[in-house]
Amino acid sequence: MAVDLDYKKLGFMCGLEIHQRLATEHKLFCSCDAQLPNDVSIAEIDRRQRAVAGELGRIDLSAAFETQRGRKFVYNAFRKTTCLVDVDEEPPHEMNGEALSAAMQIVASFNAWVPAEFEPMRKEVVDGSDPSAFQRTLLVGHGGYMEFADRQIGVTSIFLEEESSGIEHSDSNMVIYNVDRLAIPLVEIDTEPEIRTPEEAKEVARRIGLLLRLTGRVQRGIGSIRQDVNVSIREGARVEIKGFQDLETMDKIIENEVRRQVNLIEIKKELQKRDARVHQPIDVTSVFGETNVKVLRRVLEDVSGVVMASRLQGYAGILGREINPGRRLGSEISDYAKLAGVGGLIHSDENLAGYGFTEGEMGELKRLLGMKEKDAFILVAGDKEACESALAFANTRAQQAALAVPNETRGVDSKMLITTFLRPLPGGARMYPETDVRPIPLDHEAYEVAKKLAVDVERITGMLRREIKNEQLEEQMLWSPYLGLFMKIVEKTKVKGSVVAPVLLDKMTQIRRMGKDIDSIGDEAMLMIFGEYAKGRITKAAIEEILKQAPTDGKAVEKAIKAGKLERIGGKELEKLVREAGRGKGKEEIVRQIMSRHRLNVDAEDLNNLLK
Amino acid sequence: MYSREVEALLRKKGITPGDMIRVVLNKKTFEGILLPRPEFGDQGALVLKLKNGYNIGLKPGVGTKLEKLEHAKETFTFPRVKLEKREGLPNVTIVSTGGTIESKVDYITGGVHMLVEPEEMLAQVPEILEIANFKVVSPMRIASEDMLYQNWQEIARAVAKALSDSHGVIVTHGTDTMHYTAAALSFMLDGLTGPVVITGAQRSVDRGSSDAFMNLLCSAHLAAKGNVAEVGICMHASSSDGFCNFIRGTKVRKMHTTKRDAFRPINNRPIARISPNGAIDYIDDERRRRGEDRKLRVVAGYEPRVALLKFYPNSDPDIIDYYIGKGYKGIIIEGTGMGHVAVSPADEKYSWLGHIKRAVESGMVVGVTSQCLNGRVNGNVYRNLRLISGTGAIYCEDMMPETALVKLGWLLGNHKRGDAARMLSKNIAGEITERTEIDFF
Repeated sequence: MAVDLDYKKLGFMCGLEIHQRLATEHKLFCSCDAQLPNDVSIAEIDRRQRAVAGELGRIDLSAAFETQRGRKFVYNAFRKTTCLVDVDEEPPHEMNGEALSAAMQIVASFNAWVPAEFEPMRKEVVDGSDPSAFQRTLLVGHGGYMEFADRQIGVTSIFLEEESSGIEHSDSNMVIYNVDRLAIPLVEIDTEPEIRTPEEAKEVARRIGLLLRLTGRVQRGIGSIRQDVNVSIREGARVEIKGFQDLETMDKIIENEVRRQVNLIEIKKELQKRDARVHQPIDVTSVFGETNVKVLRRVLEDVSGVVMASRLQGYAGILGREINPGRRLGSEISDYAKLAGVGGLIHSDENLAGYGFTEGEMGELKRLLGMKEKDAFILVAGDKEACESALAFANTRAQQAALAVPNETRGVDSKMLITTFLRPLPGGARMYPETDVRPIPLDHEAYEVAKKLAVDVERITGMLRREIKNEQLEEQMLWSPYLGLFMKIVEKTKVKGSVVAPVLLDKMTQIRRMGKDIDSIGDEAMLMIFGEYAKGRITKAAIEEILKQAPTDGKAVEKAIKAGKLERIGGKELEKLVREAGRGKGKEEIVRQIMSRHRLNVDAEDLNNLLK
Repeated sequence: MYSREVEALLRKKGITPGDMIRVVLNKKTFEGILLPRPEFGDQGALVLKLKNGYNIGLKPGVGTKLEKLEHAKETFTFPRVKLEKREGLPNVTIVSTGGTIESKVDYITGGVHMLVEPEEMLAQVPEILEIANFKVVSPMRIASEDMLYQNWQEIARAVAKALSDSHGVIVTHGTDTMHYTAAALSFMLDGLTGPVVITGAQRSVDRGSSDAFMNLLCSAHLAAKGNVAEVGICMHASSSDGFCNFIRGTKVRKMHTTKRDAFRPINNRPIARISPNGAIDYIDDERRRRGEDRKLRVVAGYEPRVALLKFYPNSDPDIIDYYIGKGYKGIIIEGTGMGHVAVSPADEKYSWLGHIKRAVESGMVVGVTSQCLNGRVNGNVYRNLRLISGTGAIYCEDMMPETALVKLGWLLGNHKRGDAARMLSKNIAGEITERTEIDFF
């Protein structure tokens, strides 16, 4: 397992889909708040959804799968963040112009092309996360790229779309969604599958996140950005991984997914060699009339409880084969069975004696199933309908093991750093036009403005490197909300970035901790403080002192300087101080004496120069 | 339609909507299916459906290259059910008339008005075939705002014919004027023998969240086994997919523009509550039941020269003279409160009193209802009300204005004026109740 993977040799292909919420006042197609206050639900709406046939009159596998689960969807509605549009009781309103303008800026930042007319679409959603059963989405950018290391990574498409609902609760019978989050504007950035290693995936994701953040048009905080990873290897399958908690472990999780696929490919070859086959499930309740197996006895106490099993011909020893840390092929098959609402399944590569199975029971079970050497079984217990459905799902997965790695949407187990099954990968996106909204022509003027606001990461990082000259502070500033202000101060006042950065990054935090309202310090005040410093009117130490007064504007800064007697002492006046302090004392003593009295007014450098 | 320039360009290249084409524009290449131009937006922009399913608008300009790659493939077909007779199931006829419940987005063009065949509509709820044997007749396929009284007559005849061999009938209908049709059928179908269940959808059936699925299932259960012989509307009782209400056709009104529970009983309660699993909970004990000895008769006469007038402050009563001049036979006034119109305003020209009197004297039947909708009008309580009823205007009890309008047209189409006037305030099809129970509002 620990052997390093050669990604090139494995035919590793990887692309990202980055979803980022925009910081707009309203939702995308209505006037609900697009921020998320801590609100209590004011209404609950229950709905059922069904798969409807698409363009070719066919119902997509993943859609059918969800319909088969037949879950009920409950939507929690909220006062300020939910209206009739969100719960599919009113057609959408006009599209949010603020969101489109932010999207334009992002499109320009990724050097992508914009259409002459935006065509709002409906993308079918089958998991109930949208009460309308579709998500509104439009293509806003196409064929862009981003600089990455020494090459460019292609950006296939950029979409502006509605955020999905948040899950409050989910089980095999129902899902409860909070629709406060629904329809917050979101951009999706899709890269070409040009990422070469898991490590690169992490770096590209970080880079895209940074660029989005630098536009100043996106939400920050937990959940405001999500990264989906599409990954495949030769002979493997395309798997979409969703739900990364953070970027730190992304590379490790992708690596484990690749290992999973490598192992599944090996299993497939072995099963093919053995000519393995999956047999129809049968009812084996009669075997367990007197059983000591706790999980079975509990089920059989209920009159409707049954035990069912399938014979997996040629699967012996393979179900127990490890494919990821703590995961076996049996666990993958069990994941499918669980979709039907059963707790899991038991397979013959497990420690059966540990469950309490007797040899008699095993013999009888094997006889009923018609098992031979090298055969395995899977077994579930519950009510008949659940068992049938569980084994139908499980058999499908078991059969698949002999054919190919299945295309799946997978989630993340952030403790084990592995991926876990969510659902089969949806077929081609099922899209049709949102006929309730008119096409939106490109506003050329607005687009020109957006292009001017496009973010150039290279330019910004280069400037920080030149100005700050401290790697840690550069990185900190790059991700800081003060970045914009920092650039303005450096540009306008010409004060060195190495002076400005520590004030904005460290001093401001210290002052905030003293309980000062630093958020009320206006940009004008900031520019004036550093301007006065640049002119030599105040010392570096005085900057902090003025900030403690939290001046809102230039006038307040002036007042703080005057009232605090913060003007710098230099030239003749400083010489006088030195003369007065200097009688019969050493250099160090003079500095100590003056600085202790005039710390805020005397620049230590001035003093040292004078004493040279 | 694309702009003339674009049409010319397409013609030159032999391209028609539906073709797979390649567009090279500013050195970028796009391949996709050319779609017909949506009505709105820039008619000079080509709309292309890309391989990823998204549509985009491209504006051809100098240097744009167009190329046809593949001729349009045949359009897709929606799945449909096969209606086969099964032993032991009751018969239900679906009279399909159009509306949202029968419209669907055309996945390729995005047009929403394409009507689906009823068999396609049923294919979205295949389990409905376990409830009854269905027969479908489709006398018309129109949006409900386009309904005329002639359509009501046609529907009434189709329903009556269907009831000769069906336990019940489902009428699928657009929702906007559904309650007018419900009232019309209530009057036109005399001696009804089974349930006539009108249903529709507030959300089209191409979306997985459509209300049509549950509405159809509940309607089917009621039509197949309901012990009721009345016309009513069966639609969502709330925003949730919990159950439907079946509300009397003369006492139901669309009370919301878009919500799925838009239909509410007015001065009444639902006749029954139906679950999509088939449970029927009868609420109204006074409903007309099946099996009572009746002979169904279609009384379809209708006088279309009847008008519904809303009174409001400063409303000009000259409008009444206009209708007198046009030879109208009846007017329903939607008054305020208990049935008021202006009687002695500061400016006398706004008094409706003389105009109403003139209308009655000219031979018109004038009925008074309330724009409050809920509650009963009364011609006696205030002096002004007594003055109005003194003109010969008829106070229509707790009848809804729309129901009163349809009733008056129907009365005048089948009876002499004097009889019509007398019957206007007497209950015929549940439109007037003698008692308003405390939980009706």
